[in-house]
Amino acid sequence: MIDFHTHTPAWETATWLGGAAFGADEFVAFMDGAGIERAVVLSHDGLFDPTPESNDQLAEFVHKYPDRLIGFGTVAVRRKSAVQEAERMVGELGLRGLKLHPWLQGFSMHERGLDPICEVIAGAGGVLLVHDGTPPYSTAGQIAALARRHPKLPVILGHGGLHDLWRESLAMTQETENLYLCLCGTPPYAARRILAEAPPHKVIFGTDAGLSEQASQDYAVARVKEIDGWGITAAQRRAMLIDNPRRLLDRT
Amino acid sequence: MIIDAHCRIGDGREVELKPAELIATMDALGIDRAVVAPGERCTAYDNREGNELTAVAAAESGGRLLAYAVANPWRGRAAIDELDRALDAGAVALAVDSTLQGFDLLDGLLDPLLDFATDAGWFVYVRTGTPPTALPLPLATLARRRPELPVIMGKSGATDFWIDAVPALLHAPNLYGDTAYAPWDTVLTGFQNEPGIGAERLIFATDAPYTVPVAEVDRIRDWPLDADRKAAVFGGNLARLLAHQ
Repeated sequence: MIDFHTHTPAWETATWLGGAAFGADEFVAFMDGAGIERAVVLSHDGLFDPTPESNDQLAEFVHKYPDRLIGFGTVAVRRKSAVQEAERMVGELGLRGLKLHPWLQGFSMHERGLDPICEVIAGAGGVLLVHDGTPPYSTAGQIAALARRHPKLPVILGHGGLHDLWRESLAMTQETENLYLCLCGTPPYAARRILAEAPPHKVIFGTDAGLSEQASQDYAVARVKEIDGWGITAAQRRAMLIDNPRRLLDRT
Repeated sequence: MIIDAHCRIGDGREVELKPAELIATMDALGIDRAVVAPGERCTAYDNREGNELTAVAAAESGGRLLAYAVANPWRGRAAIDELDRALDAGAVALAVDSTLQGFDLLDGLLDPLLDFATDAGWFVYVRTGTPPTALPLPLATLARRRPELPVIMGKSGATDFWIDAVPALLHAPNLYGDTAYAPWDTVLTGFQNEPGIGAERLIFATDAPYTVPVAEVDRIRDWPLDADRKAAVFGGNLARLLAHQ
């Protein structure tokens, strides 16, 4: 299976998410224990302080296991250097996509400064993953509006709308061709309905691993195990965990 | 003893849970008792049908199920009459969902219902989350106005308002955190370790049928917490609230 939503430790930032210190070896050991073959890894520091250094450290982390770990970097979208950093990310650093967290990073998806950044990612064959499920800056409708401006860029709703906006996330995924949905922290009943009603090729899964106080990432292991109780078909499970994420990653 | 502090029986928009199915799950997971509210439609609109559903389920369960009462506060005096009927039928607590019921926690509409709950010796479950009318901190302010009324912060603000749950619990000593959806290694340990909160302020719930109940139980069983504290979270704390009546 492919876990499309995980994080490095926060090496430089004191964050309220906390988290344990761990290295790439320990992270891959967690993946092995949970049955995860490949993982998309996002910066933790970059959520709070999206510096070039956070991308450097992410790249160093994922490059230790290039066959297992895929890095998506981030940028400070309002800085003049954002486009240049996006180019460096997907060029020199070999990162495969961009992660944005509009409410933590403090911007709106409608800001036109995002457009040249998205063009860089799309031009490199990359993917954009955006935190969703949280007003005022991280709703699926807002993210879909950006996706419509960049129809060649696959845009992923990082949390499937979480608890209160999952119906909006489902609807936007249905009506926006290049919008995909990652079930990550989405409650099981919502995940079941999303899998039943979303275009079958557009739903993927993530654990949000990396934020635990334990290097063993116990909650992420539990989230993988919990899928057994979702009441979904074998075909849905395979598409979500294997075929759909592989198609997104292997296009890059 | 394990007591599940919140389930919904009946039909919802995407879910359904029959009492017999719930009891079978409780048997399989070692859950002794569960406090049940009616489904979404009956919480929002047809309160009478919902209260009759939970009262019958409780009466037929041999003590395994306990009933929440529901009443939409927009109904004014009729809401109080409905709670009165539910109390006579055996309800043990009040369940509130300000998102489904369409009001603001601080607009005053709920106050008469909270007064009723206080007089009845009930505790109150209030569902929280991302909606601006269901946030943890306004609930804490509401709870502080009735310090003798125990209030369970349903879902503890899951997920992005977990960050507000600790300040809410610190603000209102009569507010209790709900374990549903909350990983022990990112959320619950933070509640437990916070001076002024601790395990005695945490209450286990599966929030069935929205969840995978075995995952909710396993999350607490897997939590490396000493036996006394774990027993308090799993049922001791809620048993104390129930005994208060």
